[in-house]
Amino acid sequence: MFTTGSKFLIGASVMALIATLVYGIGQGGVLGTVGLTSATVALIGLATLNALLRDSNVFSDDEAPVETSSAAQFSPPSSVWPLGFAFGSVVIAVGLISYQPIVVIGLVALVVTGGEWAVQAWAERASGNVEHNAAVRSRLSNPLEYPVGGAVAIGIIVFSFSRVMLWLSKTNTTIAFSVLAAVVLAIGFAIAYRPKMGAGAVGGVMAVGAVAVVAAGAITGLDGERDIPEFETTSIWQEEAILHPTEYAEGAEEGKHPAGLICESPEEFPEADERASETVASKSGSYQVFLTEDETLAFDVPGPIEEGPAGMVIPRSNPTNVIFRNESDEHRRLSIDFGTETLEVEGEDTEVRHQICTTLIEPGGAQLLTVEADLPTFSADGIVNPNGPGGEEGDGFWLFVPGVDTATLELIVP
Amino acid sequence: MRDSETGTSLNHVNLPNRRARTLKFAALATAGLFVAGCATNAPQDTTDPAGTNAQQIYDLSWPIFAIAGLVGVIVFGVLAFVIVRDRDRGQPIPEQTHGKPKLEIALTILPALILIGVAIPTVGVIMDLDDTSDTECVVNVTGQQWWWEFDYPVQDGCGGITEPIVTSGQMVIPADTNVLIRGTSRDVIHSFWIPRLNGKRDMVPGRVHNLRMQANEPGIYAGQCAEFCGLSHANMRMEVVALDDGDFETWKANQLEDYESPTSEAALRGETSFVTNCSRCHQIDGITDADGVPIVSRPDQQVYSGAAPNLTNLMTRNTFAGASWDLINQDYRDEVWEASPEEFGDLYLAGVTDDVFNEVDLREWLRNSPTKKPMYTDPLELEATDGLVRGMPYLALSEDQIDDLLAYLLERK
Repeated sequence: MFTTGSKFLIGASVMALIATLVYGIGQGGVLGTVGLTSATVALIGLATLNALLRDSNVFSDDEAPVETSSAAQFSPPSSVWPLGFAFGSVVIAVGLISYQPIVVIGLVALVVTGGEWAVQAWAERASGNVEHNAAVRSRLSNPLEYPVGGAVAIGIIVFSFSRVMLWLSKTNTTIAFSVLAAVVLAIGFAIAYRPKMGAGAVGGVMAVGAVAVVAAGAITGLDGERDIPEFETTSIWQEEAILHPTEYAEGAEEGKHPAGLICESPEEFPEADERASETVASKSGSYQVFLTEDETLAFDVPGPIEEGPAGMVIPRSNPTNVIFRNESDEHRRLSIDFGTETLEVEGEDTEVRHQICTTLIEPGGAQLLTVEADLPTFSADGIVNPNGPGGEEGDGFWLFVPGVDTATLELIVP
Repeated sequence: MRDSETGTSLNHVNLPNRRARTLKFAALATAGLFVAGCATNAPQDTTDPAGTNAQQIYDLSWPIFAIAGLVGVIVFGVLAFVIVRDRDRGQPIPEQTHGKPKLEIALTILPALILIGVAIPTVGVIMDLDDTSDTECVVNVTGQQWWWEFDYPVQDGCGGITEPIVTSGQMVIPADTNVLIRGTSRDVIHSFWIPRLNGKRDMVPGRVHNLRMQANEPGIYAGQCAEFCGLSHANMRMEVVALDDGDFETWKANQLEDYESPTSEAALRGETSFVTNCSRCHQIDGITDADGVPIVSRPDQQVYSGAAPNLTNLMTRNTFAGASWDLINQDYRDEVWEASPEEFGDLYLAGVTDDVFNEVDLREWLRNSPTKKPMYTDPLELEATDGLVRGMPYLALSEDQIDDLLAYLLERK
C-alpha cells in the first residue's frame, strides 16, 4: 500500500490543510492563508509524486529482508539528540531570564533535536537490525535533512563571506572576490581533470575552505564593518541656517562657513561642498538641466519634448530625478525655490524659503538632485519669487543658479 | 485480492472501469479548458490586438506558443509513456548504463537551435518595442495604491498642450498616434498593462520607465495593474480612451476650461461640503475660498502615497475609484463600449449626464468607501504609516451631504 515516505507526506499534507482552514477561518490573514495554502498544495503534490514513485525504491513492497533479518540481539545505538534537546531547553530558560532573542535559538535547537530524536526513536522500533533501522530513519529524514542542512550551511558561508567583504576596503573586496573566484575555478578544473581524485581529498579541501571562510567571517564580523565616511549635505546646512540662525551666524563670523543660505550662495561651503561626490546614480528616465556656456538654463526631459516651453513640468508629490550638468567655466550649484513655507524657528512660526540644491559642481561635472513638490504651482500664484527673473512674471517655483542672474527656469507642478 | 469462485483478480476486473473514468475525467477537463476560452465579454484580451505594439507581440507569441506547445506535448508524452511502461510492478531494476554521447549531443544541440530560432524574432520585437524615439505625445503615468494618475505635461506633442492636464482612471490619447508613457509609482511597484495595446511595464518608485502606446482607431481599451501591489490590487484598473484628432482637441479644451461655480442650491451646498470633507486630499482646480484664495489640497499630509485623484473634470470620465466602478449606467456603458469608431467620440465626450448617471455606486462610495473597496484606512491600523491612509477613509457623511456632493460633482465636467 503506501510507503513510509508517502505516509509522512500525506500526514504533513493533512496537517497543512487543517492549519490552513484553522488559520484562514480563525485569523483571516490573507498572506498567511496564501502561504499555508501554497504549502498544502506543495505537500499534496509531493505526496502524490512520492506515492507514484514509491520512495524511489522498487523493493519497498518486498518485506522479505525485514522478515528475515536478525532481531534477536538488538541494542539501540547511542544518540546525540537527547543532549541537543536538553541544550535547547537550557538555552530557552537562559533566554527567558536574560535576552529574549536567545529564546529563538533555543526553540530552533529544541524543534530540530526533538524532531530528530522522535524520528530515531520511531525508526528503532522497526526491527532488531541496527542497519535496517538506520536505513528506515534515513529514508524519512534525509529528504528533509539534506536540503535544510545544505541551505543552512550555504547561508552561514554566505553570511561569513559578506562579513569579510564588509570588513575589507572597497578595493580589497574586489581583489578578494577575484582571488576566491579564481581559486574555486582552479579547484573545479583540478577535479574535472582528475576525476579519480579521492573523495576524501576533495571533501577535505572543501571542509578546510568552509572552515576558513566561517572563521574569517567570525573574526571580521566581531571587528565590525569598514568605516564608511559620512559628510553633511547641502540640506543639513540649509536646515541649520533656517532652524538655528543664531548658532549659524556665529559659525559664519568665526569663518567656519560663508553666511547666508547655501542654496542661495555661489560660494563653497566646507563639508557640504568639498567632500561631496559628484556622481550621477540615476540611469532611468532622468530629467536634465544644463547650465550652458552662455550662462542660461536649458532642460531636456525624457520623450519627444525637445524644444519645449519655457518651463519644466514635473509631477506633483512624486520624486523626480534631475541631473544638473554644469557646462559653464565656473563651479556652480543648481537650486530650486518652492516659495515660502511656515516653520517653527526658535519657538516662533516663521515664513522661510523652501529650497533644495546640489553641491557646488565643477565645470563639466554633473550631479543628481531628487525633486519632490507637494504643492502645485498655482498655490504660489501672485507671490513673486525673489529667485525668479523678477517682476510679476516671477511668481511660482523657479530653478536658479546662485551667482548667475541669467540662469532661471520656471518649474511647473500641476 | 482474488475472487473465490472464478479465481480471477478483482483488481484486474475493475481496471477497465477505472481507465474509462480516468478518460472521461480527462476529456471533461480538456473540454472545460476549451470552453473557458470562448468568453465573449473579455476586454483584456491579448489575442485581440488593437494597436501596432500589441499586434507585434501577438504575431510573435503565436509561433512561439506553437513551438513551445509542440515541445511540451512531446516531452510530457514521452514522460507519461515511460512512467506507465516502467511503473513499479515488482520487477528487477533495469540494467543501468552511462553515457550516450551521440544522443546527448543531439539533445543539447536541438534545444539550442530551437531557442536560437525563437530568440532571433523575440529580440527584434523587444528592441522595437523598447524604441520610443518615434513617439509624438507624452503622458506621465503614475501608479499608487490603488489607482492610476495621468498627467499631460506642457508640450508641443499631443497637438500642443499649453497647461498641464491631470486626470485619473481613464487615459485619453489621440488615436493612431504613438504616445510615450513615462511611468513611475508613488508607493510600491505597480505594472501598467493594457493588453490590447501593448505589453506590461513595471512602474517603480524613483524610476521612470518608458512605454509606447498606440491605438489603431477610436475606442476604449481596458487594463489592470499587473504587479501585486497590496490589498486592492485587483481593484486597480485603468482604461485607455482613444479619440480621433478633432475629438482629442475637444477633450483637451474641455479639461483646461476655467472652473465653473455650482448652479443649483444643492450643488452650492455640495461645494461647501467638498471643501470641508474632501479638499484636504482631492484637488479641484480653480476652486477658491470666500476671499478668492485658491484652495490647495494637501494629500501629502493625509495619504501614504502623497496623492489623491484630481476631481476637476470628474464627470468627463466614465469611471471612478481606480476605474473599478462606472459613473455611467450599464446601458450607456454598453453603448459606449460597443460604439463604432465613428460614433465613439461623441458618445464619450458627452460625459456623464443626469440621464445616464450611475448614482448608486458613487453614493455607496461616498457613504462608506472602505466597505466598497478594501483599503487601509482604519485609524487604529495606521501606526506603520504615521497615520497616513492608503485609500479613501470613511467620512461619516450624512445622506443630505451625500445628496449635495452628488449634485456638485455631477457638474464637474
